[in-house]
Amino acid sequence: MLSFRTTGYNGYAVKYSPFFDSRLACAASSNFGLVGNGRLYILSLTPSGIICEKHFDTQDSLFDVCFSESHSNQLLVASGDGSIKLFDTTVDQFPVLQYKEHTREVFSLSWNLVDKGLFASSSWDGAVKVFNPDANQRASIATLPVGACTYSCAWQPSSPSIISSVASDGLCRIFDLRSPPPGNEIIKTRVSQMEVLTQDWNKYRPELLATAGVDRVVRTWDLRNPAVPVTELQGHGYAVRRVAWSPHWPDVVLSASYDMSVRVWSDGSNGAVGVGAGVGGAPAGQGRLLGVMDRHTEFCAGVDWCLFGGEGWAASTGWDEMVWVWDVGSVMGSR
Amino acid sequence: MSGAPARLAQVSGQINSSPKDRILAQNPDDVVVTCALRTAFTKGGRGGFKDTAAADLLVGVFKAVLDKSGIDASKIEDVAVGSVLPPGGGATEFRAAAIAAGIPVTAGVKATNRQCSSGLQACVDIANAINAGMIDIGIGAGVESMTSQYGPGAVTEFSDLLNSVQEAKNCTVPMGLLSENMAKDKKIPRALQDQFAASSYQKAEAAQKAGLFNEEIAPLTVDYEDPKTGEKKKLTVSQDDGVRPGMTAEALGKIRPAFAKDGSIHAGNASQISDGAAAVLLMRRSVAQKLGQKIIGKFVMATIAGVPPLLMGVGPAAAIPKVFEKTGINKDDVDIYEINEAFASQCVYCVQELGLDINKINPKGGAIAFGHPLGCTGARQVSTLLTELRRTNKKIGITSMCVGTGMGMAALWVAEY
Repeated sequence: MLSFRTTGYNGYAVKYSPFFDSRLACAASSNFGLVGNGRLYILSLTPSGIICEKHFDTQDSLFDVCFSESHSNQLLVASGDGSIKLFDTTVDQFPVLQYKEHTREVFSLSWNLVDKGLFASSSWDGAVKVFNPDANQRASIATLPVGACTYSCAWQPSSPSIISSVASDGLCRIFDLRSPPPGNEIIKTRVSQMEVLTQDWNKYRPELLATAGVDRVVRTWDLRNPAVPVTELQGHGYAVRRVAWSPHWPDVVLSASYDMSVRVWSDGSNGAVGVGAGVGGAPAGQGRLLGVMDRHTEFCAGVDWCLFGGEGWAASTGWDEMVWVWDVGSVMGSR
Repeated sequence: MSGAPARLAQVSGQINSSPKDRILAQNPDDVVVTCALRTAFTKGGRGGFKDTAAADLLVGVFKAVLDKSGIDASKIEDVAVGSVLPPGGGATEFRAAAIAAGIPVTAGVKATNRQCSSGLQACVDIANAINAGMIDIGIGAGVESMTSQYGPGAVTEFSDLLNSVQEAKNCTVPMGLLSENMAKDKKIPRALQDQFAASSYQKAEAAQKAGLFNEEIAPLTVDYEDPKTGEKKKLTVSQDDGVRPGMTAEALGKIRPAFAKDGSIHAGNASQISDGAAAVLLMRRSVAQKLGQKIIGKFVMATIAGVPPLLMGVGPAAAIPKVFEKTGINKDDVDIYEINEAFASQCVYCVQELGLDINKINPKGGAIAFGHPLGCTGARQVSTLLTELRRTNKKIGITSMCVGTGMGMAALWVAEY
């Protein structure tokens, strides 16, 4: 395992670059994100460990980071003051663009993987906003009303227009920009009795969404029948802050939790019994825990998969001021 | 709230997630109580309110709530009044009472009747209307003048069809009779009933002497005709008149059973026939904060359960577990239970059946000691509960009652102070 210490700043999110297999970004905040500055770290994986290529300081806390899908050196951060800043790693110190539309903490960002001109943001102000930075527009092109503290927004990975959100009201809302306003909402379904903090779309099955939050359970949902979850993965001792499906294994999902652990799960979907069993040999239709990464010593807030190279590398960060880069296979009990 | 405190609250809200924490959590869309008051309860037929119409009691308690809370009455959007006995349900006179009390005509008024839980049902109706976004502010109330309206006229004669279905016909069996049978059936001996009843009297006496009811009772000045002299005068009623000092189980043991020679139920271990009114001002927390209303409690949820009509007394034992089931809390999380004492027998049964700590039941006494104006009781329990929770520095309470024709209702409240 490789590690990097974000001294003085508590990690909120970590992401791998979609362009460079050695680049990571970490959004971190002083004083646990309650009050004070934020810092965006641009990290590089080198043979001698992780080094910080560069960092950008911000006035307010940072809660999420998201790489541009269209410019290899650009990335967005979500700030506590309601602003979204676009940084370019080749430019020093200041952001190249700033969007100030949200009235409260911006908590999540998602770049569209199909229409690479679009990104979306969600905020505690109860709105999801869609922006088009390439058109040189400084204003959002759509505002999708959620009405409750919106902790996460995520584009469906194979669609240019479908975006989901989860919020403090326990509901998952799915919007389609093609459907008529106002609202653009196509699905609204309850995914928890409590606050939902995170979600991620499966990279192989376009109808499958994982959600998790305060009730500690990671649930997967087939949105063709959202009345009941497909799988419920129980084990975390506190709220789950981030889930991330593997880009390599269709049945494997990571979850980072306030219980200081990152857990590796199979949702059981890839598990024909015997030959061809999924990772860890989970039986079909039954989710199970594959492993626990327990090196963090404070709340885990961010986790992401590496898209490149040997399958199954991940990075995680947390309030212990640490970024860990690790081979998911190494924490799986059955491997 | 903004900045660091808001972010801290957000994070702590994500961590504190036991069912109890969830109930205690304060969210902007909670339904909260900012004022809960009642009139004194007086004996039916001879107490201080014997010459006062139910609607007049209601006017009195509405005025007191408007006065104490300082709410701008034009902001009230709906009023629900629980009442059991009035012919026509009381809808007309309650609307008039709201207007007479100074609630503008722009507010709606309805009468509601779920027997002895009517007052609670009225509060729950208002809370649900707030939850649904139909209204922001409302009053849930209850009233009963048993002096003027108690009697056989309150029930329409059953049709042959109803009488042909035994369980349906059972709905007409008088309370005393069925409770007598239930006490036998469930093996609640008279000694136990008398002991429970005596303790209700003793607790109420102690509470009255210590002035613990003063905060929840709004004194009312009414016309009163002295039954001996025929003299008409103004009377200010500020105290429950049913609380008999120095009551003991031994004294109650001497009273003759009322419903069967070998029975166990008598006037001393059943609820009193009374007159009274109570009202609860409810609104969304965000609205209360905007208006600067002092929040005294939060309504969490309510449950309703049906039981066989002949076993109507077991109602709370069916409704209270539903609260636990739906919220995930357990009986030990609850600090005070206000379970209406329709009869000592049924209350004792429910406490035993649920395995509740007797010290948490009706700490200021109950209907046996100070009366049970049917439709009022559910709204009365709210003020009794919230003032006692605050006084004893506790948080979580349940109000519950058995309901005639075989039901139980329960509601979960959190005191805030």
